[in-house]
Amino acid sequence: MIEIHHLYKKYGSDVHVLEDINLTIDRGEFVFVVGSSGAGKSTLLKLLLREILPTKGFIKVFGRDITRLRKREIPYFRRNIGMIFQDFRLLEDRNVFENVAFSLRVIGVSTREINKRVPLTLKLVGLQDKALKNPGELSGGEQQRVCVARAIVNRPAVVLADEPTGNLDPNTSMEIMKLLHDINVRGTTVIVATHAKELVDYFQKRVVVLEGNRVISDRERGVYLNAY
Amino acid sequence: MHIKSLFYFFKEALRGIVRNGWMSIASMGVVSITLLILGSFVVLSFNVDLVTHDLKEDVQIVLYIDEKANEGTRAVLHSKLVAHPQVSEVRFVDKEEAMGRLKEKLGDRSRLLEGYEKPEDNPLRDSYELRTSIPEEISAVAAQIESYPGVAEVDYGSGVVEPLFQFTGLVRWIGLAFMAGLAVTTVFLIAHTIRLTVYVRRKEIMIMKYVGATDWFIRWPFLFEGLILGLIGAVIPVIVIFYGYQAAALWMRSNIYFVSLLPPEKIVEKVVKILLPLGVALGIVGSTISVRRFLRV
Repeated sequence: MIEIHHLYKKYGSDVHVLEDINLTIDRGEFVFVVGSSGAGKSTLLKLLLREILPTKGFIKVFGRDITRLRKREIPYFRRNIGMIFQDFRLLEDRNVFENVAFSLRVIGVSTREINKRVPLTLKLVGLQDKALKNPGELSGGEQQRVCVARAIVNRPAVVLADEPTGNLDPNTSMEIMKLLHDINVRGTTVIVATHAKELVDYFQKRVVVLEGNRVISDRERGVYLNAY
Repeated sequence: MHIKSLFYFFKEALRGIVRNGWMSIASMGVVSITLLILGSFVVLSFNVDLVTHDLKEDVQIVLYIDEKANEGTRAVLHSKLVAHPQVSEVRFVDKEEAMGRLKEKLGDRSRLLEGYEKPEDNPLRDSYELRTSIPEEISAVAAQIESYPGVAEVDYGSGVVEPLFQFTGLVRWIGLAFMAGLAVTTVFLIAHTIRLTVYVRRKEIMIMKYVGATDWFIRWPFLFEGLILGLIGAVIPVIVIFYGYQAAALWMRSNIYFVSLLPPEKIVEKVVKILLPLGVALGIVGSTISVRRFLRV
């Protein structure tokens, strides 16, 4: 489903962030992308979301080279991808329901459909009782659940998570990762960029290690330690 | 665009205005104040135009006919004046009519003219009153016709007319330059103020981009917002100008009665035609400029 071929990315003239990356990710896979800070994990996710373009190489998603997408095609491509951020990026002045509904509203989904889908999604992430709360009234873990709900409410084929547990304590981190795992079990491809060694070791999923701008290890049922 | 989406954009625009209450008031204030200054200049320039027009209407050449000129010379003079391409109006005033006018002008003191009433005693001369199609060309035309046969003297208020035309020309140019400068300033101010409201909502725009909203979907609420702010911002100065002008016109009428002003209804009609589209356009241009930078995600 996702094919990355000889991908290079450099910022400016001499800051190499990614060099010769080759990856194939199948439908329904769960992949951890690990590596130290500055190894290029976030850049890889940004490339997959077509937020930036590679310097060289191409990325095929659903059989289409997304580096060749026209500007007006990008929004429609992104509707197939759910994005989760470390800093949640919720709208503080809207309640939980509205934050989740927002991602449906802006792609033109009808209010009737929104009223059907949002409660189901909130139930899935365990926030059915917090629909009318504002993000400020929620704990960090709950806020990240809202972010997960927002990413999946549109039923995307792929969910990208950039350090989703970076701001959370270990127990809450585990809950969020389990939630992402549940989503993966339902058939969604999940790619998680993370530092969280314990979680990576716990879930025993495919682990891609980025180091020195390159992929130095890619193992099924890997652990964080394997990399080094 | 669906009606449903239109409703959504409008709702979002209103929501944005209310949520950024102070910023919205600031934007509207900026639009109002600049358009008020601009509008006042428009009012002033329309009235200067009117006064200038009145003055120009009064500008004419008076050509006195040489008393010694015979019928033939007079006929030649008449036909030459009528044929002159820049002369738009030729009116013959014989000396009896001139005397009548003089009497009227003197009013109570017309006794002074006693003894000059009989035609043979009338010291005045027959004359022509001429108007030129372009008032500013009056001195050139006067110089030309001075050499026509049978002309005793040509009078067009030289020395008074030239500075008047220079002055009205200057007022017009200064007014135009000032208005152009003000319009540019207004665009900058509005773009800047709306940029602040867009900046406050950059997170919202970023999320919209991430979840796959099209650029136009993101842009519309801001365009509506700019439109509403621009429109309200333009209506305020129109109201202020209407009532302000009404009061000023009333004062003028009772104090400086010889200057004629455009009636307030006419002025408002003209000001509305300029300020409302300008306010709306400024709002839309301002928000378009402001939102563009944040769409690059």
